[in-house]
Parts: sequence; C-alpha cells; structure tokens
Amino acid sequence: MIAALLLFIALQVTPELRQHVEAGLKAKASGDLDTATQEFRLVARMAPGLAPAWVNLGAVYLARKDYADAVPALRKALELNSNLPGAEQMLGTALLAQGFAAEAIPNLEKAQADDLLGVALLESGRPRDAVEHLEAALLKRPGDPDLLYYLGQAHLRLSTDAFESIRRNNPQSPRTEQLLAEEMRNSGNAKAAQLHFRAALALRPDLRGIHYALGDLYLSSGDYEKAETEFRAETKLAPGSAPAAWKLGSVLLNRGQVADAISELKRADMLQPSMPETLLELGKAYNAAGQSAEAEKCLKQVIAQEATGPLAQAAHFQLSQAYRKLKRDADAEHELSLFREMKGRESGTNETAARP
Amino acid sequence: MRRVLQAGVCAAIACIAFPGPPLEPFSAGSLDFEHRNSPTAQKYLIETMGGGVALFDYNNDGLLDVFLVNGGKLDDPQRLPADYRRGDPQYWNRLYRQNRDGSFTDVTETAGLSHAGNNYGMGVAVGDYDNDGYEDLYVTAFGRNTLYHNNRNGAFTDVTQEAGVSGAGWSVSAGFFDYDNDGRLDLFVARYLDWDFSRNLLCGAPFHAYCRPDKYQGSTNLLFHNEGGGRFRDVSKASGIAAVRGKGMGVAFNDYDSDGLPDIFVSNDGMEQFLFHNKGNGKFEERAVEAGVAYSEDGKTCAGMGVAFADYDNDGLPDIAVTDLALEKYALYRNHGAGQFSYQTLASGLAALTAQSSGWGVALQDFDNDGWKDLFIAQGHVLDNIERINSGLHYREAPALLRNSAGRFERVNLGPQPEIAGRGLAVGDLNNDGALDAVVAVLGGRPLILRSAPNTNHWLTLKLIGTRSNRDGIGARVSAGKQWAYCTTSGSYLSASDPRVHFGLGSEARSTVEILWPSGRRQRIPDLAADRIVTVKEPE
Repeated sequence: MIAALLLFIALQVTPELRQHVEAGLKAKASGDLDTATQEFRLVARMAPGLAPAWVNLGAVYLARKDYADAVPALRKALELNSNLPGAEQMLGTALLAQGFAAEAIPNLEKAQADDLLGVALLESGRPRDAVEHLEAALLKRPGDPDLLYYLGQAHLRLSTDAFESIRRNNPQSPRTEQLLAEEMRNSGNAKAAQLHFRAALALRPDLRGIHYALGDLYLSSGDYEKAETEFRAETKLAPGSAPAAWKLGSVLLNRGQVADAISELKRADMLQPSMPETLLELGKAYNAAGQSAEAEKCLKQVIAQEATGPLAQAAHFQLSQAYRKLKRDADAEHELSLFREMKGRESGTNETAARP
Repeated sequence: MRRVLQAGVCAAIACIAFPGPPLEPFSAGSLDFEHRNSPTAQKYLIETMGGGVALFDYNNDGLLDVFLVNGGKLDDPQRLPADYRRGDPQYWNRLYRQNRDGSFTDVTETAGLSHAGNNYGMGVAVGDYDNDGYEDLYVTAFGRNTLYHNNRNGAFTDVTQEAGVSGAGWSVSAGFFDYDNDGRLDLFVARYLDWDFSRNLLCGAPFHAYCRPDKYQGSTNLLFHNEGGGRFRDVSKASGIAAVRGKGMGVAFNDYDSDGLPDIFVSNDGMEQFLFHNKGNGKFEERAVEAGVAYSEDGKTCAGMGVAFADYDNDGLPDIAVTDLALEKYALYRNHGAGQFSYQTLASGLAALTAQSSGWGVALQDFDNDGWKDLFIAQGHVLDNIERINSGLHYREAPALLRNSAGRFERVNLGPQPEIAGRGLAVGDLNNDGALDAVVAVLGGRPLILRSAPNTNHWLTLKLIGTRSNRDGIGARVSAGKQWAYCTTSGSYLSASDPRVHFGLGSEARSTVEILWPSGRRQRIPDLAADRIVTVKEPE
C-alpha cells in the first residue's frame, strides 16, 4: 500500500496507468490476486523504470506465495531504488521461503527483521547468531511458538555441535563415554548406557552426575539396592547436590530405612528449600514413621506450591492418610475428596506399569 | 543354620528360620500337566492370564490332590464362533490324585473332568457347597463357568445348569465363603474385562504387545447365594456387589472389621482395588478408598493381580497383600482396626524387594514355622516381550519367598529355581509333614511343585469340620497363642489352597487353640500338643 501511494506521488501518471494501478489495488484488496497480478504486470510493462511498479508486482506475487516470481520483481525494484521501504524484507522473505537462507540474510539484515533473520541464520548454519536475533524477536513477541521453536532448534544445534566436537577431538575422553551413555539411555538401551557410564567413571572417578545417572537407570528397572549405592556415591562426590540427596532419601524410603530416609530428605530440603518433590517424599517418610503432624507440614507445603498435577494429587492423598492417623476425620475426608476430584480429572491416564 | 531372636513366638527362645533352601522344586514325574494358552500374533488378552491350581483332598484320604486348569485352543486369528477344542486331551483340565508314596495319578477321566465344555479355562475355587463332606469344584473361564459336584465316589458331575452359576463373560478368580453365616457356602466370582475376540485391539508399536486394561471397559463381579438343595441365586445386584464395575483378578475373604461377617477384597487391574464391606443384611458396600486399601502411597492405582488377606503382624487383624506389575511394588496394607489400613510397602521393606518383579498368585503363610507368616509369590510379567520395552525387566521369573521377620520382609535364597511365567499359586501341606508346600501354575508350561523341608520348629495344623457352620469351617477365625488365621481356600490368583489352618509355633511344643466358628460358637482347646494335624469338629 505504501509503495502504491509512492507510485501515485512519483508519477506523472497517465490516466490509463492510473486506471490500471487503481484496478490492481482494488483487486488485491478484494483478494482477487489473479486480476491484481495482471494489472500490476501491465503497470510494470507500461512503466518499467518505476521501482514502485515492481514492488507492487512483487508484493502481489508474495501474497500468492509465488516466491519464484516475486524475487526478480523485488530485485528489479531494489535495483531501481535501493531505499524502497518494505522491499528488502519482502525479498528476504521470498528468498527464505524458497530455502535460499544465506541469500536472504543481507536483505533481512537491512530490514532489521529479527524474526526472519534468526530463522535465516539458523538455516544457513549460524545458530549462535540466530540465537541473538531470535531472542530479540521474542522480546517483541513473547511466547510466540514459532520463535520459541526456532530458538530451541538453535540451542539444540549448538549443543549438538559442542558434543560432536568433544567426540571428534577427544574420542577416548570420559565426556565422550558420558555422551554415548546418554544416547543409549535416551534410546532405551539401559544396559549399554550402564557400560558407557561405567567407562566414564573408570576414566574419571570424580565426574559428577555419572553416579546420579546410573542411579536413575537402576531406579527405572526397580533395582533399589544398586540405585542406593550410586546415589550414595553421588552425594559423596557432590554433598551440595539437592537432587542427589532427594533421590537417595527416596530410595532409602523404598528400602524401608525410614529414619535414614527422613534424615537424607531433610538434608535435601536444606540444600534446596521447598522443592516440592523433596517435600512430598519427606511427607511420605514421616507418614511411614507415624509422625503424622510432621507429614502434614511437608504435604501442605507441597500443595501450596503445586495446586494441581501429580504432586498435588499425591500430597492430598498422603495428607488424608496423615489426618486419619491424627483422628481428624473431617480433614481426612476433605483431602480425600480433593484427591478424588483430581483423580477423576486425570482418569484414563497412563501410570507406572510398563505396558504399551 | 540361622538362628534369630525376635518378637512373638520366638521372643525368648531361639527358633529356626529357613535353615536350608526352604522350598525345593519337586519332580512329580507322573504329574505331567502342560498348560496350553495358545499364544497368537493377535495378542488376545486371555492368552496371558491363565491358569489356576487347586490343592484339595477330593477323596478324603488325607492327602492333598492337585487340580490344574487348562486354557484352550485359539486360532490365529480366531474364527468365530470359537472352538477351544477342550475335548482334545491336550486341552483338558486335569485332576491328579496323590498316592501314599507322594506320586500322582492322573484321574481326570475317571473323575469325569475330562471335557470342560467350550470355554477357555482360567481358575478354580474349592468348597463343600452341599455340606456332604466332600469338596466340590468351581472352574472359571472366558465363557461358561462350571460347577462340579463331588459324587463321593471319586467322580464329579457338572451341575452348573441346575445350580444356576454358569456366569458369563470373562471370569477369573472365584471363591466359596458363607457371607450370611447360614451354614451354606456362597460363591463369589471376580470378572475381568468386557472383552471378546471381535473387539480385540492390537497395541504397541513397532511391535505388538498385550493391551493395557484401560483399553477396555471393566465388568461387574458375581455373587451367588447358596439357597440349599444344590441351587444358587444370583444376588450380584441385590447385594450391591454389581453396583461397581471393576477389572477383577484376585479375590480373598476375611473379616477385616471383626464384626463376625466375612468381607471381600478384589484386586483390580489398573484401577483402584475393591473392599466390599459386609453390612450383615445381605448387602455389601465398596469401601476401599475409605479404608485406605484402594491405592498406593501416592494415590496411584496398580495392576492388582493376586491377593492375600491374612494377619502378617500377629495383631489379630487381617492385613492385605496385593501383587502387581514390575515397578509398581507389591502393596501391603496393614490393618489398624476400626476399619482402617495403612500402606506398609515402604516401611516393611517390601518395596525394594518387589519393585523389579511382577506377581500373581500370593500367599501369606508361615513357611518356616517360626510364628510369622511369610510371603510366597508366583511371578512373571504379563507381557511376553517385556524385555523389548524395558531391558531391566523379565517375562520369566523365579517365584519369591519373602521371610517375615517380625513385620519386616527379607528375601530368602531359594537356591536354583526355574524362571517361569508363574500365574496361579496354591499352598498346602502335600506330604503332611508340617511344612507347607506350594504348587505354581505356569502359563504355557508345566506346573512347578515346591516342597518344604521341615525344620525343628513346631507346628500345628487344624482340619475343621463345621456342624452348625458350613462343613469346611470356612470363615472360622482361629488363634494359636498370639497368632490368628482365617479358614479359607480362597485368595492368591485363580487358585484354591489347602483348607486346613496351619500354624508355625517356633519353639513352642504346645499351644492353646481358640476357634470362633462362623455360627458364632466359640471353642477352646487348651494345651494342644504340637507337630500334628488335628481334626476339630464344631460343637453341636
């Protein structure tokens, strides 16, 4: 539309040309892109030296998603006038839409179109630069799913590149073994993952996170004894790790070592206060130890932080058990009804059993 | 040899707990049953659920006999109407009579049990429903169930039609109990899914596996009231049992609130468990959530399979153990009285012992006679390709014996045991030596017989004969010292166990026995010498 106005201003317009421009604009506005294309082609033919004529034609092609024809029209416009507003962005868009990401970058840079530029940079193999522009674009359009998707892809590319670099340059390193283990774990091959994690530890026994990952692997097959060994080793290496303390406490609880579980879970809560996962386990442990009043405190904190979801549901259920033991039947009933309400909402969802 | 000091029977004097391998595989060559489940590429759910086993003395010769339920032939895919070819001997249920030398003789044909009708067999219940002194059989199936009356001459007669207990759909575990204490055994049948071949789904990608139960609607359970004269009346609706739809697998009876009326626990697969409270007016009310036995500690459902309903902590109140699938941990609910239970899987140490295993038949019985009821479990995953889904889990597993040490459980090394797809489990003293034995029904395989070696602990086994109560004495609460037991053949999964009440007495050579009969009559037998089987008749 801006280009159309410029066309009128710039022209010593002949009545015939004016007639075609108006018809083209009218057709475009009404969505009749075929007529608009015909009219602007005619205008460009009648006034081939007028940049706005080509911009209008390029814009109609763009509207038709006819990117191949849009590119020469917009290039012609920029040849004639390199300062035409909107033409750079349109040309960049048309090029990017056809996969010519690297070619689109100069146009999009000139147009300062952070969003499309971020995509073009990502697609042309420059994820680090892409991150900067996509984050700038997200400031203008927070939460935009397309931008978030491309930003995620950019970070993924960066991490993949970093991991590839480790593998290429340090194939025998503990980090390479760790990477292989994580790949195996993610593809469901727990046994191979264990072997690579063990290899990583053999090369560097003090590598933090490996015992934790091994503990998780053992947990996934229900082997609490081995999981305990690994989480203990992790807490020794990283005494400040709240997640390791939480997992160790949880395993101890499942092994029936309730007093030790309480002690470890309290430590996890001190390291990272108010983590709802820790508080829920601690509440369960207190309930198992018959310390219902202590359980109540923890479980109420869980619910204060997580009003909905599986943690809240479990906390309401545990709380009902605690109130039963405290002979607070009305409170127990209330918690049970909240639990049932939540359970009703999630009925039919998958739970823990390993079945397809 | 291991000696422990513990509370209860072994409080003051050392007693023996599992001195050697406590249960050893026993080869009864003549017991040549092979369960045939006919696995198909269609992954029909019924293929992976059977079958059951019963230990009962059908000819009253004092020796336990073995009845095993077979599956049937399935086509791949199944042609309809289905013909399970139960007339073919390889698909027969089988009855094996135990001989004096511990061997078995296949008496299926002479007992009239060779043709099970056109159904796919599941489980078995045992009870003397007509109080004639001979145990009768009820066999469940996908399709028509069958009640076999024991003719007292070594043969049985199919009386299903006259009795009115054929049921329909997919029946799984069943049990006889006398819910109204009228002296006649009633019949409860747990039913699983509303499933048939035409609605079978193929689940899993890129390879197929048996579907989760949540892909299908559940079913209502059945309750038949024994009217006498060989007839039963379907009271499922009138009693309130059919008011809730479940996915029933196991069933067990006990009086959890000590009101003198038997209650019913049904383990459900993939949903909350059911506890039917007997209101005493012919009606039941489902109260599992209120009682605290419906869910795990997180309020999660589990794939409930088998159930044991017995007093594991010797406090006189029956507790509940439920087996389920790997990663769920077998559930143990401790009865605190006043109708309330708490989840004890964590505190009892059971969680870590069972998280990797999938359990089916289960028994809470004292296998080492130390005065504490241990847990014995038939194991094996429901999915025959579970290793492809989680390489840390296993389809075939050895059975597990978890020793009860004053309320905490620990694994007992059973020595070399075959890895099997265990399903049904029945427990009883096969050779009357005072040490409990077990028979595990194996899906698609031969049953596993495990014989106990007696230790020096004392024991006492009571065979009850009801007079005013039902003839089997089912539902009687029996105490020996500080221990309590409930007379039943039910529980476990698909199976029926020795009706005799067994106590391990540790170092006690004598015990005073008290019986609260279902009729309400109390009987006290002081200072009974241990290490024998005693027949106790209810006073007239």
